[in-house]
Amino acid sequence: MGAAPHATGGIIQLPPDMQAELRALEARGARVSHYELLSVGADADSASIRRAYLEKSKRLHPDAWFGKELGEYRQLLSKWFQKLATAYQTLSDEESRAAYDEAHRTKLSANDQAAVQRRELSRAEEERRERERRERLLRSKGFARIGAARKLYEDAVVLAADGARVQAIAALKTARELDPNRKEIAQKLLEVEREQSRARAKSALFAAGEKEEAGEFPQAVAAYATAFQLERSAAAALGASRCALANKDLQAASSWASRAVETDPSDPTARMTLARCFVQMNMKARARGELSQLLGKHPDHKEAKALLRGL
Amino acid sequence: MAELVIGIDLGTTNSVVATVQGGTPTVIPNRSGYRITPSVVAMARNGKRLVGALARRQAVTNAERTVVAVKRLMGRRWSSKPLQDALARMPYSIVQGPHDDVRIALGEAQYSPPEISAMVLTELRLDAEAFLGQPVSKAVITCPAYFNDAQRNATKDAGRIAGLEVIRIINEPTSAALAYGFGRAQSEKQLAVFDLGGGTFDFTVLHMFKGVFEVEATGGDSLLGGEDFDARIIDWLADPFLAKNGIDLRKDKMALQRLRDAAEKAKCELSVVNSVEMNLPFISASQKSGPLHLQTQLTRDLLESMTKDLVDRCMKVCERVLGEAKVRPNELGDVLLVGGQTRMPRIQAAVKALFGREPAKNVNPDEAVALGAAIQGSMLLHEGTEMLLLDVTPHSLGIAIAGGFFQSIIPKNTTVPTSAHHVFTTVKDDQPSAKITVLQGESELSADNELLGEFMLTGLRAAPRGGVDIDVVFDISADGIVSVSAIDVQTGVRQSITVTASSGLTEDEISRAAQANEEWMLGQKEDPNFQDRKTRAEELFKEFEALWPKLTRAAQNGLGQEPLARAQAALSVARLQVAQKESDALASSIDRLERMLGALRGAIERGLGSR
Repeated sequence: MGAAPHATGGIIQLPPDMQAELRALEARGARVSHYELLSVGADADSASIRRAYLEKSKRLHPDAWFGKELGEYRQLLSKWFQKLATAYQTLSDEESRAAYDEAHRTKLSANDQAAVQRRELSRAEEERRERERRERLLRSKGFARIGAARKLYEDAVVLAADGARVQAIAALKTARELDPNRKEIAQKLLEVEREQSRARAKSALFAAGEKEEAGEFPQAVAAYATAFQLERSAAAALGASRCALANKDLQAASSWASRAVETDPSDPTARMTLARCFVQMNMKARARGELSQLLGKHPDHKEAKALLRGL
Repeated sequence: MAELVIGIDLGTTNSVVATVQGGTPTVIPNRSGYRITPSVVAMARNGKRLVGALARRQAVTNAERTVVAVKRLMGRRWSSKPLQDALARMPYSIVQGPHDDVRIALGEAQYSPPEISAMVLTELRLDAEAFLGQPVSKAVITCPAYFNDAQRNATKDAGRIAGLEVIRIINEPTSAALAYGFGRAQSEKQLAVFDLGGGTFDFTVLHMFKGVFEVEATGGDSLLGGEDFDARIIDWLADPFLAKNGIDLRKDKMALQRLRDAAEKAKCELSVVNSVEMNLPFISASQKSGPLHLQTQLTRDLLESMTKDLVDRCMKVCERVLGEAKVRPNELGDVLLVGGQTRMPRIQAAVKALFGREPAKNVNPDEAVALGAAIQGSMLLHEGTEMLLLDVTPHSLGIAIAGGFFQSIIPKNTTVPTSAHHVFTTVKDDQPSAKITVLQGESELSADNELLGEFMLTGLRAAPRGGVDIDVVFDISADGIVSVSAIDVQTGVRQSITVTASSGLTEDEISRAAQANEEWMLGQKEDPNFQDRKTRAEELFKEFEALWPKLTRAAQNGLGQEPLARAQAALSVARLQVAQKESDALASSIDRLERMLGALRGAIERGLGSR
């Protein structure tokens, strides 16, 4: 099932301008920035990014050309639609967008670099105004404090839904100060803060993954280390270990792998990686120790059994 | 001319077929004139296949050979818990199939769930062909958003058996949203669709802008629907009866079917009135006291209190999905209610309470899904519709990893089509093959997720362990159907993949079933020779008529009345055969009439019968 049959030398039924657009995208490949792909400026707000995504989908989604003879372009459409969806997803979250801007600052066009800067400035300006507003609200007296807290809480919920977590957190903190007895304010604050650290760690992991794929292992190790600092996850430690190993830095690889094991002692992959490091460092006894611990928990782990037999 | 395509809402209890005619989505009435066809199939005692209202009407007297709610069995494994739970409530007999799947025994024959569904689809297809006056071969069929890959494939198989090219399987709530958005798609709006049908519950949040419908999040419960509300009423009737008379009506198939009908009827009436009388005379009989009757009164309050937990389950799903879509209930532009069960006032009130608004009134909860499917079909096949649907995958897709764990590769609510890849490394020297287990679900433990299939990577090249990296690509198509391919990273050689475990029908079984269905349909249709024979017979009628004056004269001149009487008898038999479309019998009548005509003409020429 799945994919439709490929062209059998028939005529391609895709308009020439679409063909040209796809060929141009393909020629530039990874150099097409998320903003360019969506045809928006780097200072676009989240509502216009969503509209741009939906508009572009009308051309790039394979369903727009359903039942047509597309030949090699079928593959390209599917690929670039998926890139478009990734671009939209990355840019519609304040946190991951900031991380993207940071990581691609030098790769963006001069115009977009300026736009990113403008946006950062206007955000700083907006934040300043919001801060002043919050300070004003904080000076409210009596019952007005309760009303002000509710207003801030409502703002924060909208901001959080928009992915603007930094602002949401600031608003919630003020609201908590105004009305310390409202449980839902504290709860929402906790929730947004947790979301924030997860999102940050996720985008750091993503950036590290990009570097790993590009083969920039020393940078990737550093990026995974950042991700690990933001949120202690076995995935980040494992990534660092993997890249260090690729970089032939056995010492770092084994120390990251043991950190992965510490973070999640039940993660079989972490122990497996640590065992591999020990094997490469010729520390057979410690490798055996790790493997037998792993097999104690997961007696059916085939890789571990194979490696242990090899020792 | 634009290619014909129909949209089919293949429901648990009822089905609807629609098409887009002259730019307007229209429900196609069935050949009896109704817009809804019950999804019921029966084998009558004389071996005749009955579908729809006819099958439903005889369900009480023929409960064991009447299949209802087959959708609950679609794509299910025999060994799965949901299936074993469903078994208890089905009045017909269900047996284990050859691939850990399900077969339904009807008389001597056994049918898979897709074959039964195909009978409903065939009926709808014939209805559409009768309505449109031309053959229909393409269809969009809907399924609950929460259907997994196996259930979607089973639905697709059903379409193929019914001789339909299923150009797309789309999610029911999305389909309803398309029907809602048709004609007003230019505005920007956020929508929620609350779809409580006969067997499943789905909740979906969408965003529409300039003709593009973007699904933001979807969720549901594939085992929660109107039939569960009926089951509560059935238990409420049967439990006291069991306590009092020591007879479990649910074990008597005919009584269960009567209870089922009465429960559904009472439930529907309670959406309008506050109390209904339930009267089931002669429901059973005991040795001591002779015939037993069941008579009681059910109130709306009582129904609401015994189904409260079901409504609460729906609301929990809504809250979870709204959280995933990061939307607050009062931010939505509109809330659509779809599925017959949403007529229940308690549900409408719960929806209103959660969203702080009246649900949209301008969609028909029974017809919106089929209309949306027809719209999607037309969007795909016809140019210039300027509409597009961006749907998501409702389940996370991943693989089983060592230790019995599940590793997610494509998270749920990802826009489809999508793909992701994962690199597998050999763990042994010269390892010839590797097994990959693909699963769908949200649990961290692989055993708790739905098994999609097991794939063998075979013919790996000989290399020390760790020396072969296989990049396995998982694709989810726009239908939500999964395919897997693999490439050797170092050499770029495409690896062959074989499916070693998957539920449902084999390719062979599908084509055999499709063949059988085709033959059945031919039997239903009139003989293609009939029209020609009818024309020839009518020519003969005219020739006889023209010859008649001469014949009456010849009769007086010595031919006699007898040949005329015989001709007249043969003519009236042939007229009857034309009227009753008895094609084969008509053929022999034509032969006879031609011979008679020749003989009579000869007699006239030889001199008006002067012997």
